[in-house]
Amino acid sequence: MSRLSRRQLGSLAGAALLLGLGGSIARGQAKPRVVVIGGGVGGATLARTLASGVPAVDVTLIERRAKYITCFHSNHYLAGLSSLASLTHGYDALAQAGVTVLQDSATAIDPTARTVSLQTGAVLTYDRLVVSPGVSFKFGGIEGYDEAATEIMPHAWNAGPQTELLRRQLKSMDDGGLFVIAVPPDPFRCPPGPYERASLVAYYFKQFKPKSKVLILDAKDTFRYQDIFEDAWARHYPGMIEWLPKQFTGGVHAVDVTTRSVITTAETFRAAVANVIPAQSAGSLVAEAGLTDASGWCPVDPTTFESKLQADIHIVGDAIIGGDMPKSAFSANSQAKACGFAISAALTGAERFPPHLFNSCYTSLAPDDAFVNALSFRPDPETGRISVVDSFVNKVGESAETRRRTAHEANGWYAAFTRDTFG
Amino acid sequence: MSVTATAAAPSRNLTAACRRRVMVCSFFAAAVFGGHAGAAEVSHGAQLAATCAACHSVDGTNAGIPVIAGMDEQALIGAMLDYKESETPSHVMHAVALSLSDEELALVARYLAGHGGGAR
Repeated sequence: MSRLSRRQLGSLAGAALLLGLGGSIARGQAKPRVVVIGGGVGGATLARTLASGVPAVDVTLIERRAKYITCFHSNHYLAGLSSLASLTHGYDALAQAGVTVLQDSATAIDPTARTVSLQTGAVLTYDRLVVSPGVSFKFGGIEGYDEAATEIMPHAWNAGPQTELLRRQLKSMDDGGLFVIAVPPDPFRCPPGPYERASLVAYYFKQFKPKSKVLILDAKDTFRYQDIFEDAWARHYPGMIEWLPKQFTGGVHAVDVTTRSVITTAETFRAAVANVIPAQSAGSLVAEAGLTDASGWCPVDPTTFESKLQADIHIVGDAIIGGDMPKSAFSANSQAKACGFAISAALTGAERFPPHLFNSCYTSLAPDDAFVNALSFRPDPETGRISVVDSFVNKVGESAETRRRTAHEANGWYAAFTRDTFG
Repeated sequence: MSVTATAAAPSRNLTAACRRRVMVCSFFAAAVFGGHAGAAEVSHGAQLAATCAACHSVDGTNAGIPVIAGMDEQALIGAMLDYKESETPSHVMHAVALSLSDEELALVARYLAGHGGGAR
């Protein structure tokens, strides 16, 4: 079997591109070059979509880490329900699919010269650049909470050493301690994540430290799927989780790392373990490259994900202004596929069809109790906004069997999704 | 594989209404493909199938979410039409089904039926 036909059979996304190739590639012109910065879900999906289907496109992925640890499902690790190794994914399969994977960091983008400078000194040229930088944390919004403070009060909102630190703190905490989660204002990565974290840490406490409590200090007055969470907390962890909206506390405005205190306008809470999740904006590289607007996020075309501020540069994932699409791994995967098909069409003449944008996030309430949402979106090229079309989610009062089945599906989804993303 | 063998798929008794819908499915699939699939139709089907791959494993493992690559075309169309009608048994598939036009559903079903068992 030829290399092409193996790839054709091997990838649904890739086959889409391969079969739609126009005549320019067949005539043997030089390969267009796509550079992808960031090997998270958006970047990996994009690279895989392009490389596995269109051998005539040269794809280079720049990622500083040798392996990627998923933030999604990392709350299971915090609760002792999974290992960090099970959340860790390498780039070998992407390399085998034809992606040139460079373990390096992009230091500068020159949109005029169409070049990317790397930490090691190399300069790459591109026909199209895709940036999937994720989020950066806005230190300064909470007095006393800076990079150094994250070593005492971890945010654990990028999976890796921060997640391991928080797990160690939870394990070494005495029974009867207070675990405080400070939730940032919208928009932030993984909107249900803080509340899933509260649920699964409470599960851990219930098993091993039953006198301990979880306190959520929110920067908002309501949160998405609040009824489902509060119902589950009452059923599984009565009296263990307290949620305080901003209207009650005035919000977290400072921390004191020496006493591990989280300070709101109304009250100071002394924590045994404090998890402070800062406000967020697009990763720093895109701001320096002029790809963000005053909001701190990247405006993009809703069908191609090309920047509205710089030609031939596309952005996918958490960093974009995604309209109704949440900042989630699923959204990043969905956007990357639509973006990949659009880039292929622009560079190779491959046929392009109206993109389907979708998001579905499994959220765990306990090991045998999970819910899942499902949202479809319509990109509107006229308004430049991605709008939700349909939205469904589990309901309070469902049978335990329905929730068990959903929890089982969540594990199947993780396996399929990470395979789809990283190979 | 049979759709009725999967946990999340709706039950499909061979009622008269069901048989009628299968005929309808066949009709619009034939109308779309005109008897044989061209490259554009296959490509469109493959782009739609890429969305499915975010949840449905394509390497033959079924860990809570059914494998759909290689599934019988008519069974897939029938199941999706059922999903389109009701939020139960799967609100996720209800959302997916609602997002697909009849033409798109025929294209993706034809594509998936022809791409079973391929590890990637």
